[in-house]
Amino acid sequence: MLESLLQPNIDDMESLTTTTLAALELLFSGNPELWEIIAISFRVSGVAILVASPPALLVAFILAYYHFPGRRLLISLNSTLLSVPAVVVGLTLFILLSRQGPLGEWKLLFTQTAMVLGQIALAFPILVAMGHSALQACDRRAWETARTLGATPLRALITIMREARFGLMAALLAAFGRIIAEVGASMMLGGNILHYTRNIPTAIALESSKGEFAQGIALGLVLLILAFTLNAFLQHFQGKGQPA
Amino acid sequence: MTTPDQFQVHCLKKHYAKRQVLDDVVFSLQAGQTQLLSGDNGAGKTTLLRILAGLEKPDSLQIDLGTGVLNWRRVKKTLQHHALYLHQHPYMFDGTVNYNLGYAITAKLTKRERQQQIDEALEWADLQQLSYAPAKSLSGGEKQRVSLARAWLKRPSILLLDEPTSNLDQESRQRTLSLLETFKSDGTAMLLASHDPMHFPSLIDQHLHLDRGKLVRIDDQSLIESDQTHPNFRSTA
Repeated sequence: MLESLLQPNIDDMESLTTTTLAALELLFSGNPELWEIIAISFRVSGVAILVASPPALLVAFILAYYHFPGRRLLISLNSTLLSVPAVVVGLTLFILLSRQGPLGEWKLLFTQTAMVLGQIALAFPILVAMGHSALQACDRRAWETARTLGATPLRALITIMREARFGLMAALLAAFGRIIAEVGASMMLGGNILHYTRNIPTAIALESSKGEFAQGIALGLVLLILAFTLNAFLQHFQGKGQPA
Repeated sequence: MTTPDQFQVHCLKKHYAKRQVLDDVVFSLQAGQTQLLSGDNGAGKTTLLRILAGLEKPDSLQIDLGTGVLNWRRVKKTLQHHALYLHQHPYMFDGTVNYNLGYAITAKLTKRERQQQIDEALEWADLQQLSYAPAKSLSGGEKQRVSLARAWLKRPSILLLDEPTSNLDQESRQRTLSLLETFKSDGTAMLLASHDPMHFPSLIDQHLHLDRGKLVRIDDQSLIESDQTHPNFRSTA
């Protein structure tokens, strides 16, 4: 009995190979439905990162460079938000955006905008935490040198961001990697509507539940390639940030 | 903004925790004059310089710029415009020496005018050979020269120097001194914190000593020499 469990099932192996080949065919044949889902994913997550980054990095800078009452509490709160599951973020925004919710009049539920909002909420604490670490690691003399050389606070801020660019780039990539692969918030806020709010993770969840593994694996491969590319970039940037 | 010939500092106080680092410090800086600031480690020399550069907030400070006494808040912006603080270990921005020098040029200039100013600064500090070198990889003496060249480009009224020759070899120290002489002859007021008064024999006009938060003026040159007996003064001969 135990032996039969440990023996690989030839039929299962064949099925996996066949499905993976079908997935690759789907991917490289330019299947419009598949590529539309990929495009929606990148568009939604790209917009979310673009919108979340400036305020998140500003908060990271303030936490790194200014000492004020409640600063440590804010850092702890942000760290707590890092571990909130995507589905909880989705549920919270769902309640806010639903027809009876306080923001129901905006009629954003089951739109790409709602998905963007959910992904902003997920990306924000990652950007703040990693941005804070990167900026805090930046030599304080950089800010002082910039200011004493006559830079305005804005120019000095841009200079500090430039000095800490490898760490900040790592923060952006990590946040993008997190939100493009999350399923909970996108499913609850977008509703997984074909041609509109169906992105890679929600499509994988749906196709898998239907037993259509080929498209799920194809999209999974896209996420894997994306994860590899982001990590390669991350290693590259982190390596550049190390002292020679 | 006009450049005043004299900066008078009054009521400068600063404390950390329960320690009064600067206690009602009074002194003045004159254009073209260099004052040496000595004191034990932790006496508050760096704090004093950083406050005068507008980088650190004092408990109280009044500065007279020749237009009447102003409080710290009103004068901070003016100080940041007039004074330039040089760290003991100068910070180099990530980039070439050219980039670092260009950073100090805040005026709106054409690319050509900008490069011309950078070239002049490179020549002034004898850094022509290093213009495209990564600034972070320079030696301590070269970094000091880049930092002085940045200051030269900004042309401050007050130059605040924190141990400018510490950890420099004899040649680098001489080069730094000759660059500082240029600032002096150009009319820059300098306040120079150092443990080694004998490093700057021709540069110093007045010697101030910080002791338990109080600033003591040591006008007499013989007193500067006798002060070498202080345990923190190292002989470089």
